[in-house]
Amino acid sequence: MLRIRDASITFLGSDGQHVHALDHVSLDIAPASIVVAVGASGCGKSTLLNAIAGFLPLTEGTITLDGREIAAPGGDRGVVFQKDTLLPWANVLDNVALGLKYRGVSRIERYERSRHLLELVGLADFAEKPPYELSGGMRQRVGIARALATDPKILLMDEPFGALDSLTRETMQQLLASVWAKTGKQILFITHSIEEALTLGTTIVVMSPRPGRIVARFDADFVRDFAESGDIGPIQSHPRFIELRQEIRSLIHQPEGARRGTLQ
Amino acid sequence: MTLAANSQTPFPPATAQRRPSPPPRGSASARTFGISLVTLAALIALWVLAAQFGWASPLFLPSPADVLTQFNAVAADGYANGTLLDHTLASLGRIAAALGVGIFVGIPLGLLMGLNRWVKGIFSVPIDLYWGLPPLAYLPLLIIWLGIGETSKIVLLSLSTFAPICFAAQAGVRSVPVERINAALSLGANRLQLFTSIILPSALPEILTGLKIAIGAGLSTLVAAELIAAQSGLGYMIMSAANFLATDVVFVGLIVIAVLAFAFTSGMCWLEHRLIPWKGKL
Repeated sequence: MLRIRDASITFLGSDGQHVHALDHVSLDIAPASIVVAVGASGCGKSTLLNAIAGFLPLTEGTITLDGREIAAPGGDRGVVFQKDTLLPWANVLDNVALGLKYRGVSRIERYERSRHLLELVGLADFAEKPPYELSGGMRQRVGIARALATDPKILLMDEPFGALDSLTRETMQQLLASVWAKTGKQILFITHSIEEALTLGTTIVVMSPRPGRIVARFDADFVRDFAESGDIGPIQSHPRFIELRQEIRSLIHQPEGARRGTLQ
Repeated sequence: MTLAANSQTPFPPATAQRRPSPPPRGSASARTFGISLVTLAALIALWVLAAQFGWASPLFLPSPADVLTQFNAVAADGYANGTLLDHTLASLGRIAAALGVGIFVGIPLGLLMGLNRWVKGIFSVPIDLYWGLPPLAYLPLLIIWLGIGETSKIVLLSLSTFAPICFAAQAGVRSVPVERINAALSLGANRLQLFTSIILPSALPEILTGLKIAIGAGLSTLVAAELIAAQSGLGYMIMSAANFLATDVVFVGLIVIAVLAFAFTSGMCWLEHRLIPWKGKL
């Protein structure tokens, strides 16, 4: 269980003004849930993820993972970045095995596990390729396999499909839903696409900028159907889906003053 | 691993064969190679013609045949206290020693300067100060301190190869993308693992670029130092020949230096190809 309590992050902006990137955010991520944070750019959703990953220190508040407070990056939180961060000098298999190598897992064991994960993301045939010979979507699949290799407690995904074309993106969403259904990982997923949020989230939190805060949260269950059927069409035309999409859209596009009273 | 994913795979494997890998790096130079060859042939032809028709006195421009004869003579009988091979080896030995110092001191120190504020603060001022000086300007001082022997020349050359390598290693550390570091940390890397598995390989392209610059700087400093103060080496041979207006021997020396420089450049290209085939690809 990941617990975020009153988390705030304040920067000193270039103009000397304090920027409240994150303002008293509280959020729980339960095991086997996918929490999707959605919002316009600058709403603090990536800041939130970076704080959980340990890349950014909190100004106030606490984040605990299974009761232990987070202070620095660590192998218990797997991160998938928007820009792929694979090592160009290592082949796909070695990239996936990197975290296991850091842990001192024997060569045979880490390769076996990595091959299994490559099979899970459909890249078994590409193990010996250098990452730069793969397409953007394939590289993100390697990134997901790499993050899963160390069996982290939570998977943090920072707009992982944001740079992909819409067809590849759909395939990747399908992949993630099936990986989630298979592994039962708790996932925090950041996106600016409302459709993506509703398709993948068991919980959707809507964030707003200046200051970055959570303005609403919704529960959804489309991802289970999606993982089973693999068909995005019926899900996105479901009346409840359309209704929620409209609601979230109006929350995101509301003028800032009018939004104040929305939460609870 | 050519096994197709089996039916248990929850996700269809990527089967589409990717476009063929991009053409090898040499192809661009292969396309210009023929043109370059023709240019070289034209230059030599011009030289032959100029000598043949006496456009310039042999004192200024010896004929290719004279240079070739002189080349054989210098190689066999020697000139200015040594054969061509002796002079070449003397020069090569100096530059090898200097590159050794540059690599074994410059790379570790540069990496440390890139990693640590204190090391950078302490060493950047003296390096910046001397690096701005033309090496030949402080050669007399080095000779006063260290004598006319090999030591002063190797120290001079080492100073000229050390700085570019050190700067490059420093720049290499600072060029590591922060996402790459964050990714390694979130995979559980400790500080040592972060350095050996991420920072060092990421800095390698910059370091090799620095090495190329160091070789260039070293060669020019080498010959200049030998012109001024030496009893052996290609620069010394050229200077001795010039004193007796033996222009053909000067040409022999110049050609050997050009060939050496070309060999160093080709060697570095080969090394880059071997060590960092991924450069600029991701």
